[in-house]
Amino acid sequence: MKRVLPVWVRPRAVLVAGIGAAVLALLPFFHSNRYWHNQITETMLAVVAALAWNWLGGYLGQVSFGHAAMFGLGGFVAARFQASLGLPMIPAWIVAGIVAGLYALVWGHPTLRLRGPYFSIATIGVGEATRLICTYWVWLTGGSSGMSLPVQIQLKYQLYWYALALALLALAASYALRRSPLGLSLLAIKSDVDAAGDVGVSSVRLQDLVLFISGMTMGICGGFYASYYSFIEPGDMFGFSRSISFVLMGVIGGIGTIAGPAVGALIYVLLRNALLASYPQLYLGLYGLLLILVILFEPLGLTGLFLRVFHRKRPDLGVTGVAAEDSAAPATGVTPAPAEQRGAK
Amino acid sequence: MGQVIDLAVSAILLAGLYATMAYGLGLIYGVLRIVNLNHGGMIMVGAYAGWWLHFKYGIDPYLSLIPVSAAAFVLGVLVYRVLVRRLPRGAAGGVQSLLLLFGVWLVLRNAAYLLFTGNDQTIRTAYSTRAISLAGAFLSVNRVAVFGLALVVLFALHMLLTRTYLGKAIRAVAQNPDSCTLVGVPVERIYALTFGLGTALAALAGLLAATLFPFSPEFGATELLKSFVVVVLGGLGSVAGTAIAALILATVEVFAILALPSYLTASVGFVLLVLVLVIRPGGLFGQRVLG
Repeated sequence: MKRVLPVWVRPRAVLVAGIGAAVLALLPFFHSNRYWHNQITETMLAVVAALAWNWLGGYLGQVSFGHAAMFGLGGFVAARFQASLGLPMIPAWIVAGIVAGLYALVWGHPTLRLRGPYFSIATIGVGEATRLICTYWVWLTGGSSGMSLPVQIQLKYQLYWYALALALLALAASYALRRSPLGLSLLAIKSDVDAAGDVGVSSVRLQDLVLFISGMTMGICGGFYASYYSFIEPGDMFGFSRSISFVLMGVIGGIGTIAGPAVGALIYVLLRNALLASYPQLYLGLYGLLLILVILFEPLGLTGLFLRVFHRKRPDLGVTGVAAEDSAAPATGVTPAPAEQRGAK
Repeated sequence: MGQVIDLAVSAILLAGLYATMAYGLGLIYGVLRIVNLNHGGMIMVGAYAGWWLHFKYGIDPYLSLIPVSAAAFVLGVLVYRVLVRRLPRGAAGGVQSLLLLFGVWLVLRNAAYLLFTGNDQTIRTAYSTRAISLAGAFLSVNRVAVFGLALVVLFALHMLLTRTYLGKAIRAVAQNPDSCTLVGVPVERIYALTFGLGTALAALAGLLAATLFPFSPEFGATELLKSFVVVVLGGLGSVAGTAIAALILATVEVFAILALPSYLTASVGFVLLVLVLVIRPGGLFGQRVLG
């Protein structure tokens, strides 16, 4: 039999994804509850964003606290192109994705030379600067009062399937980025940039590539968000809490795993809606607590918990994964080799 | 010309606050190689602690500096002992400690929302609006006081780090923790003390800032970023480097008003942060270990 799929694709994974997608695609025909219809759409959008964040934060270990910048930019570009230039929805999303991806490269190409905390802090700066500039860029964003698109109930209902398609694409991309030969290069970069360079992995080009794809996907998510909610405003789209939500989804699900962030997104959305309904005054702190607990006890998040419960082998995910646990500092006494200066390159 | 002098004076006064704010962050990074994202949270806590003592018991904010710093020191040691200590150090722990301390910040912020609501607060004392005239210019008493206190704190820190046994131990641990273990320096205790010291400095700076600016539970985010700019620009642990870097940041910020529309001046700090990280990640004077 001729091999249809590349060697690194497991037929079982394709099967599971296919069945899951088929069930979700047919679900609305059997069960027409609008509340869950909306919840699932929201979740799938969050899944796409969480996976896109994970390509950079998990696969490359470059945790970004500023991904809302691309999300927001994509949203406003898509909305502006539809509202002012009359572009149809899908082309507007594509334009939004390309603009957001290019914007990610503009700030990311220079900052990706930084490693670890340095990069993360720089992304906070990028996110906040983008928010401030876009809030006052009235032509693009409509200023603080935001901008609206015409509400189309029928379209909003159909966007469920668009979200499903996007989520599937993002999952496929996650799978490919981890398991293909390219994924090995990314792992090498994450584990040790210099050593990766020595064996011929072009860290600059690959990091730029991943950042572009990640930013592009974020932009498309923003465009989708604009179409789905018909109203967007900069404080929300570019908000720091939105950037943080992507980080949380990734951490809860398992940084650097293939499908972990998707599960994290599901938990995040359900948890947020439940908390906002019953304990709105506690949700910030509960997220903080969750973050602390996950990092302290299970750095691989829900994926790690799953592996532990079922006694599976833990995947090697570079420094923040298994390797980190092996070299974890004993609680007291001698610390491991003094940390070398990663930022100052 | 008079305008330029006024702006220069206010830049210098602001720089004192920025230097104090940044020093705690730099100290913790220099010794533990951990970026204390909770720095912003402690700035906020310091502000609220001062406000609470003033509002409830009428204690002058400058008098409450000492108890607030002491309490923050204890809190910092606790955070280190209970949480940070359990993480791997160095490159492997970098991202994890970042996320962990961010979690602590979220918890503190939520606590502030619950206790004090999200409204903006200010500390208003009898002398809040008073000004002294100096060679034709008027200076706010508060700003001068904050500047003076910042200088005192920085000088005391410098003395602590260079003239005492504890300071020597802290600097030694920053250089090489393994060798310190060999010669009998209690590395873990130094780590805990340093973390407490950095946290106390954050709260102190927060309290100083609260006498000048209004604050809410969101307070501290911008301050954290500014501290980071100063730390990166000034190198680690050097009081002089920190002071010069703080002066540069304050000057750029204050003078941006002349060139930019006012709503964009807030983003100057962020842009500067990214530029500094990209162009001179080693700081203006090269990366120095404490001392």
